[in-house]
Amino acid sequence: MPRLISPLVLALIGLFLFGDGAYIHAKARLAQMLLERAFDRSIATGQAVKPWSWADTWPVARIEVKRIGASAIVLEGASGQALAFGPGHIHQTADAGERGTAVYAAHRDTHFRFLRNVVIGDIIDVTRRDGRHFRYRADSSAVVRFDASGIDATTQGFELVLATCWPFDAVTSGPERYILHATLIGTDKSPTAPATRASVAHSTTRHTPVVASPKDSP
Amino acid sequence: MDTYDTADDDEHPMLNRLIKLGLLLLAQGIAVMLMAFVALLVSFGTSWSATTEQASLLQPGDARSGSLLLKGDGAITEAIRLGIDVDITVSGPTLRTRVTQVFRNPTQDWVEATYVYPLATGGAVDTLKMVVGDRIIVGDIKERQQARLIYEEARRAGQRAALTEQERPNIFTNSVANIGPGETVLVQIEYQEPVHQSGKEYSLRLPLVIGPRYNPAPIVQSVDFRKDGSGWGATTSDPVTDRDRISPPVLDPAKTAPVNPTSITVRLKAGFALGEVKSHHHNVKIESPDSTTRIVTLADGAVPADRDFELTWKPLTDKAPSVGLFRERVGDADYLLAFVTPPGAEQATEKPMPREVVFVIDNSGSMGGTSMVQAKASLAYALSRLQPTDRFNVIRFDDTMDVLFPASVPADAAHVGEATSFVSALQARGGTEMVPAMRAALADKLGDTGMVRQVVFLTDGAIGNEQQLFETITAMRGRSRVFMVGIGSAPNTYLMTRAAELGRGAFTHIGSVEQVEERMRSLFAKLENPAVTGLAAKFSEANADVTPAIIPDVYRDEPLVLAAKLDKLAGALEIRGRVGDRPWSVTLPLQHAAEGKGLSKLWAKRKIGDAEVARAMRELAHEEADKAILALALDHQIVTRLTSLVAVDKTPSRPEGAPLKLSELPINLPAGWDFEKVFGERPQIPAQLRERHADAGTSPAMRRPTPAAPDAIRLPKTATSAELKMIAGLILIVLALVLFAFNRRRPLLTNAA
Repeated sequence: MPRLISPLVLALIGLFLFGDGAYIHAKARLAQMLLERAFDRSIATGQAVKPWSWADTWPVARIEVKRIGASAIVLEGASGQALAFGPGHIHQTADAGERGTAVYAAHRDTHFRFLRNVVIGDIIDVTRRDGRHFRYRADSSAVVRFDASGIDATTQGFELVLATCWPFDAVTSGPERYILHATLIGTDKSPTAPATRASVAHSTTRHTPVVASPKDSP
Repeated sequence: MDTYDTADDDEHPMLNRLIKLGLLLLAQGIAVMLMAFVALLVSFGTSWSATTEQASLLQPGDARSGSLLLKGDGAITEAIRLGIDVDITVSGPTLRTRVTQVFRNPTQDWVEATYVYPLATGGAVDTLKMVVGDRIIVGDIKERQQARLIYEEARRAGQRAALTEQERPNIFTNSVANIGPGETVLVQIEYQEPVHQSGKEYSLRLPLVIGPRYNPAPIVQSVDFRKDGSGWGATTSDPVTDRDRISPPVLDPAKTAPVNPTSITVRLKAGFALGEVKSHHHNVKIESPDSTTRIVTLADGAVPADRDFELTWKPLTDKAPSVGLFRERVGDADYLLAFVTPPGAEQATEKPMPREVVFVIDNSGSMGGTSMVQAKASLAYALSRLQPTDRFNVIRFDDTMDVLFPASVPADAAHVGEATSFVSALQARGGTEMVPAMRAALADKLGDTGMVRQVVFLTDGAIGNEQQLFETITAMRGRSRVFMVGIGSAPNTYLMTRAAELGRGAFTHIGSVEQVEERMRSLFAKLENPAVTGLAAKFSEANADVTPAIIPDVYRDEPLVLAAKLDKLAGALEIRGRVGDRPWSVTLPLQHAAEGKGLSKLWAKRKIGDAEVARAMRELAHEEADKAILALALDHQIVTRLTSLVAVDKTPSRPEGAPLKLSELPINLPAGWDFEKVFGERPQIPAQLRERHADAGTSPAMRRPTPAAPDAIRLPKTATSAELKMIAGLILIVLALVLFAFNRRRPLLTNAA
């Protein structure tokens, strides 16, 4: 009998670990479903709606990349708690559609797994809690350290940054972050107004040029 | 382990058994190592990020990839030199500050410099002057977008231009375009600010550092490096190689070429005989031409601006003047600034009124970590300060709520002990349902009018339904006073300020555990000394637009400060209120008001502040609030979120194409300026400078993110351990199966043997 104990214990620990990992994914999926509902209600009522009664955060925006069929509901704040459920809107950064840079961060293996498929030139749609809709175009990407992100939060432009951990396929966490930068090209109300300043090419920066084929993506 | 037993039981096929035993041990060893590996990775991950957060300095490797030109603590590179001179004139209740920034370009290129700097929150920036050579160009107030357009246009046309913009209510940016090689441009801004008074101490604070909490604008940005491969300045050759040398101390540009010193002069005309005048963080030289005037200068000349400059002064006599009334006529309106220190202190301290205090502590998930520690420490301190005659209760909430005692209990040792252990056992978890807790705290069960009723609310305010909370306070406040204690590094200040205002209490912010005692003590000084309540101001003849519209309670030693716009300067201002249980009133005849300076701007700045709050609180529609702010700002020439100052030197300076070859020709400095002081041998200031080349083809989009302020936005950890756990789990399961299969086969092997 004792010879059965060690494989049994091993199997149990293995199952527990596996289950724990799977739980993270399950939680991320389920939360997004609940968030989707709460967000729809937010838009309808114009009030911040909590996805579940004991939640410490609330949905603030929906990000969509229609080309690859990806979508996620962004939560207010980027605490570890919030990130388990959805991408987080980093405090101290602008709201989407406002002057400045809106920064959303999420886990590379759950909500922002799709970032690896987003290429320069892709259209990123952001719907805000108040129902307003903003259209961004991805124009550059970079790999930076978490404490030297280079994000200009108070920029004069209307910008968006999606951030996640880098490299995508690593198993452990590291200091590097992948940031995808996008610039506003239109809103639902006045699709031309902000576009004038956003559409100026900036070919002399170290960024990837605006017009780029999918091959240019990292 | 069971290995010895099995060996004793059965000794026959010894060798065989030993091999199996070895295999078993090996397998277990692998499993243990795997577990250890997993554990190590998990713990390694956290400790790793902890150490890197401390050493947030830019690493040379990163500098290569971006276009950073400076070090973590804000040292500035050789590129553009900046000197700062601050001249503060205090005249009675207001102070006017003139900040002169000297931009000197030692390089061979035409450059544009942008300087981000902090100012006092209450400061109204109204003047921008640019001095180029012997010409002075005075800036105009314009709508923000329009000002930027004018500036960009001038920049493209090769004209010198300066632009002052507000980034945050207390963070401003100065941009200067087309500074020629070797040229110096002076940019001067002026702002008006009220003097702060507390008790008999008057003070001014000159912020010289942007606190990390504001995460302000980024720093040196030089996006296009194509043209300057030839090198910048004399001491270091190429900015890119320079960047690599920034973090090691060897060639720190701040040491090889001292830049950005700050000199400060304060002309203090208090309007009364002065007693002690003290600078808290800097060595100063104080001259006293007469009893009411002091001239304060820095003892060591210019200093690196690594901390705020704070100056306090007291009147010579023991009693501070309790009333101040100042007026200014601008256009066809009169502006009035009134300071009244109610007589609270002396009478009240004799007989402290018994109080009923309800403490509310937020133990929701967002309070996790140091916030919870601070909140608990604050509450523990507060409990220890209660008097036996007081009554108290404690409420804790997350998405659930507990009220410790059914009704408020006397603050005797037993009850306080019970409360203390209740508080120390709290854990941060769950959501933030603030409204029920506030409702419970405001429920006045005792209804004992002989007691002052106070609610002390400790939270980070991380909620979205602020409006609901405000409605609750307005509806249920009764005779209770609500004191908000903001916990943590980034509490929701709007919520706190507004809730305290509506609850006629005060807002205290505690940002670190070290601040707990000091801040809580001053809060308790307020709590223990009954305030002057129910204040109202009335003008007997004039029609007045008064700010603040709802006058908050005034606590011990604090003056009531009112700003008003009047249609005529006649009659009197009557202020009524209650000190303890007695009515109190004071009448100030307006014709006795003394001439003051810049009062209209202070009034406008406060009105703009009110409108900004109303906008944030959604009491005013965004468009409506913006319209009101814009009108006030344009009327009173103040830089706001929506307006900027712009100055353009119409004489084109930079010729198209060929860059002007100018040798270093320092311009004439304005009178009273000491060049050595400004460009003295002093290390850097942690002010922030970003620059780009004044290339006519440069588009606004060029200022885009790339480089980083190491203390700018910190990206959160965005990798879960899910995959690691799943992989480790799978390995273990496979291992278990292998072992199991091996065990199944073993009896067969033994039988065969």
